[in-house]
Formats: sequence, C-alpha cells, structure tokens
Amino acid sequence: MPVLECKGLTKRFGRVTALDEAAFSIEPGRIVGLPGPNGSGKTTLIKLANGLLTPDGGYIAICGFAPGRESHALVSYLPERTAIPVWMTARQLMDFYCDFYRDFRRDAAEEMLAHLNIHPHQSIKQMSKGTREKVQLIMVMSRAAKLYLLDEPIGGVDPATRDYILSTIIGNYNPEAAVLISTHLIADVEKVLDEVIFINQGRVMLQSTVDDIREEKGMSVDALFREVFKC
Amino acid sequence: MLRKLLKHEFRATGRIMLPMYLVLLVTAIGSNLAGRGMLDRPSRILNILAVLIVIAFASAICGVLLMSFALMIQRFYKNLLQDEGYLMFTLPVSVHQHIWSKLIVAAVWFAVTILAIIAASLIVAYDVGFLREMLDFFRYFFEGLQKLKISEALNGTVYLVEFAVLMFLSLAAFSLQFYAALAAGHSRANHKMVWSVVWFFGFQFVLQMAMSSIFVMLDKLGVSNFLNIIDWNPSVTAAIHVGLLMAIGCVIVYGAIFYAVTTFFLKKHLNLE
Amino acid sequence: MQWQFSNDAPIYAQLIQQVKVGIVTGAFPPGERLPSVRDLATEAGVNPNTMQRALAELERDGLVYSQRTAGRFVTEDNTMINAAKKSLAKRHVKSFLEAMLRLGFQREEIISLIEQELGEEEANHAGT
Repeated sequence: MPVLECKGLTKRFGRVTALDEAAFSIEPGRIVGLPGPNGSGKTTLIKLANGLLTPDGGYIAICGFAPGRESHALVSYLPERTAIPVWMTARQLMDFYCDFYRDFRRDAAEEMLAHLNIHPHQSIKQMSKGTREKVQLIMVMSRAAKLYLLDEPIGGVDPATRDYILSTIIGNYNPEAAVLISTHLIADVEKVLDEVIFINQGRVMLQSTVDDIREEKGMSVDALFREVFKC
Repeated sequence: MLRKLLKHEFRATGRIMLPMYLVLLVTAIGSNLAGRGMLDRPSRILNILAVLIVIAFASAICGVLLMSFALMIQRFYKNLLQDEGYLMFTLPVSVHQHIWSKLIVAAVWFAVTILAIIAASLIVAYDVGFLREMLDFFRYFFEGLQKLKISEALNGTVYLVEFAVLMFLSLAAFSLQFYAALAAGHSRANHKMVWSVVWFFGFQFVLQMAMSSIFVMLDKLGVSNFLNIIDWNPSVTAAIHVGLLMAIGCVIVYGAIFYAVTTFFLKKHLNLE
Repeated sequence: MQWQFSNDAPIYAQLIQQVKVGIVTGAFPPGERLPSVRDLATEAGVNPNTMQRALAELERDGLVYSQRTAGRFVTEDNTMINAAKKSLAKRHVKSFLEAMLRLGFQREEIISLIEQELGEEEANHAGT
C-alpha cells in the first residue's frame, strides 16, 4: 500500500486554483523531492496531507487513512515556520512529544540534542532562530513515523545547518517509511532523493527517479528544473 | 488524549496563574498587617507604606481577574490559530478535544480566581478592628440561619448552588462565544483579527435579536394565557427555582450553539497563516 | 574519503566509480569490511537506496562480496583490483586523449608533451 496517495486532488482559494486534479503516490522507503517555485502548490499539498486544509475535490490518503486523528499518528510534519511553543524547555518539549506520539524515540532525540550541545533545561525562547529550527527538526525526525512531510526544511539556513539537516534525514532513514521534502533549492537536496515530483501551477508535471532523469536527459534534476520552470 | 491535552494546557497556563495567586496571597497578608498595625501609627512612612500595600492588593485582584480572562482568549488564539496551530492540529487529537481542553482549563482558572479572591479578602479581614464589625454581621447572619426551618435552609442552599452553576456555565458559554468569533475570523485569508472582532459583535447582535424576538413570540403565542389555563400558581420559592433552571437551560443552549460554530470553522475552514 | 559529484551522470554510476577509486587507492583495503550502507550514504550525503544500488552493482562485478550477516567486504583478489585500476586508468587516458584531439594535437605532439611534462616533474622532485 502506498504511504501517500492522491487522486484528482483539488483545492481552490477563492478564484485561484492552488491544486488542480493532482494525482500521484509515494511508496514506502522512498525519499521524494517536491520542487517547485513559490506558489506552485507545494505547501497546499502538504497542508492537505496534514488535514490543515480541506480539499474541494478528489482524494488524499496516508496509509489508507483520510487526514485525521489516525493519519496524524503516522505522519511526522515539519512546518515551514517554527511551531514549537517557545516557553517550553527542550525537556518539556520532549515530554510533550512523548505524551502525544507513541512512536517518539526519546533516546534518539536526547542524543541528537546532546550532539548539538543543547541542554535539556535550556528554554526554546533563549535559542537562536537556527537552533530552534534544528530542535524542531530533531523532534520531527525522532519519531518512527510512516511518512515524514518536510516543508522547506533547508529554506533560509546556513550551509552548515543545511548539511546537518540532510545528514539527519539520511541518518534516520527507515525502509518502511517515506519522506517528502518540499524545496525550491533542488540542487542542494538532489543527491538525497530517490525521486522527484514536479508541481507547477497546481498541476503534477512529472514524477521520475533522479537517476532516470540524469540518465535519460544527461542533466541534473536542478538543470531540468530550471528548464521546466524558465520564466 | 484529552487528559494529556489538559495536562499540557495546565502547564502552559499554571506558570502564569500560580505566580499571580502568590502575589495576591502576599499582598493580602501585607494588607492584613497594614490594617492591623500600620495605619494608626504616628509614623508617616508606615502610613504611606500601608496605603501602598493596600493599593497593591487591589491591583493584584484586578490583575488575576484580567489575567484569567486574557489567558482564556490568548491560549485559544496563540496555541491554536497562530504558528503553534501547526503543531497542535497535527497531533493525533480531535477538534472536540482541543476545544474542551481550552474550555475546561479556562473555566477552572475562572473558578479558582474567584475562590482565591474570596480567600484573599478573608485573609485581609482576619482580626482587623474595623472589619470585626462586619464579621459580627456574618455571625448574626449565621445565627439567624440556624433559626430557619429545614425547608428554608434547604431552598437557600439550592439557590446558592443553582446560582453558582449558572455563573460558571455563563463564563464557559461566554468563552465559547470568543472561541467561535476567533475561529470564524481566522478562517479568512487576511485581516483575521479584524474579522474576529466583526464576528464577535455580529454574534452579540444576533443574540440580542434572538432574545427579544423570543420574548415577543412568547407573548404573541399567549404564554400568560397558557399559564392561566393550566392554572399554574407557583409559590415564590418555586418560581425562583424555575427561573434559575430556565436561565441555566438557556445558557447551555447558548454555549452549545457557539461550540458548534467553533467546531465547524476549525474542522472545515481552518486556514492557518 | 572525499565524495564529489558532477551534474551530468547518474549518481549511482558516480558512486560506483568513487568506491572503485577508494578500493584501488587503499582507502578501502582488500579483505576489509565496508561501512554499512547507511553510514556510507550519510558520509557521501546521498540517498541510501542509491548507495545500495551502487554496492549491488559492485558486488555483481565481484569487487566486493557480502557475507550474510557480517556485511560487505572488499575482495582479496589482487588481479581483480588491478584490473579495476587499469580500467580506471584507461578511462582517464581516454578522456585526456579526446580533449587533446579536440584541441588539434597529433599523436607525436601528444607523446612529446607528456614526456616533457614528466621530465619537468622529475626535475622538480630532484630539486626539492
């Protein structure tokens, strides 16, 4: 069974169609890139998968469940913005994740925090913006989820942080889970991906593996991306 | 899961409310000491200090009242409709559980705040000269109570309970009106806060219209005639009970409507920025 | 080991080449156990499935072999490693020659240029 599947998925905001009959599926064990310029429908798709928006048409399912309580237990979501409550300490945040997610691996989270020299008693308010993003990523990747939805995980971070994020994603690879990464910086994540799904103006334009694109077109996904989305 | 939501909600609000109650307690004890020994001393400094402490106590009372009210709105707004909403609405928890957790915690703090203010006032009054007379009044009052018939005492107690329940439910229903307005306003793409205020006053307007039209309708339908026909002549005691219970019923309906509105917008029209 | 990737070839093919270089240069010595797929993927910053595919291909070629539970090992067969070394060298020479021919050099000119360059390098070594 696919981890994420959608058919005819449509979402409109007023007169603007953000997603237009999107159809694709993602199998377990795959790390999938979702490149696309801003406003292409990437975030809308991820929000729909999280039940943060309700579709106007079509179907979306996570391991067979429509977005809701059951699917939330299977999905680990990294939003575009920092969503963790800043008044908490790192330890309270781990308590929070432990309470709500059965698949939260506390020892893994503690290890990753210690690796970054983040003390559990430190409050999130005192951390820099970059550190907060790393803490949020650690919480998300410490879950043994079936589907990871990462919305712009490397947008606006320095190169060292980007490398840290990508190696964290690889280091937590699980053959039974799938990862979906939305990004407008495809060159930076290309090597980490199995496949890519190109979305433009709400339509799915292409779903292919990275090495197939390189083999058939003789160019990187980034180069193809620039060609497809040429202004 | 509701239990866990409540635990974290109390954690988030307790870190603000508990220190406020502590300030209330300290200023209450201070005011008690001020009333007992500092006001009538010849020392000017002591007098001024005593007045300042009493002012601090009064501000603390306003502070806890305002804070329990502000927290009711702020927790719903910030935790569910701002950035933290991305975390909260992707927990394996239903929208109903979210609303109940916010509502229960807000209502508990309202109740604790009222009890804390009563307790603080008793602390201030404890063994203070000019307040002793007031305590004497209460003593006479309670002595009077002992002379009452059992039925009267029972009715009085039930009145008190009914009134307390009515107040508690009103606060909860009033909170739900705020929640509904915030949830509705934040389903818009822009000017979310402006729309929330518009919705709130819209609700208020509709509520007033509904109330007055219900009264007009009852009158038109001839309810008084109906009461005459069935020859219902209640005693004053019974009439008060019926009135209070009807008020409780109305408040429950009023709260249920706003609960439904809140759920509708959070489930179907969530639109986080 | 340094991992570097170009944009024009599939990543798994580049991984095969780089592991081969590692084996030939002794970064992965004969008979030694290779790091796990996950560790190699993390080190190279690539997708674990792609790394797995590259290692499977190397296994088919015989440069590495796997032992059911202990993991993957570099072959102890020196003739095989030498053959890999030669084929890597051939590729370099081939691409070098292609570039020289494109620049318009003839066979004799190329040989003399190489000899000249080698002579200079020997002199440099003797000097230091």
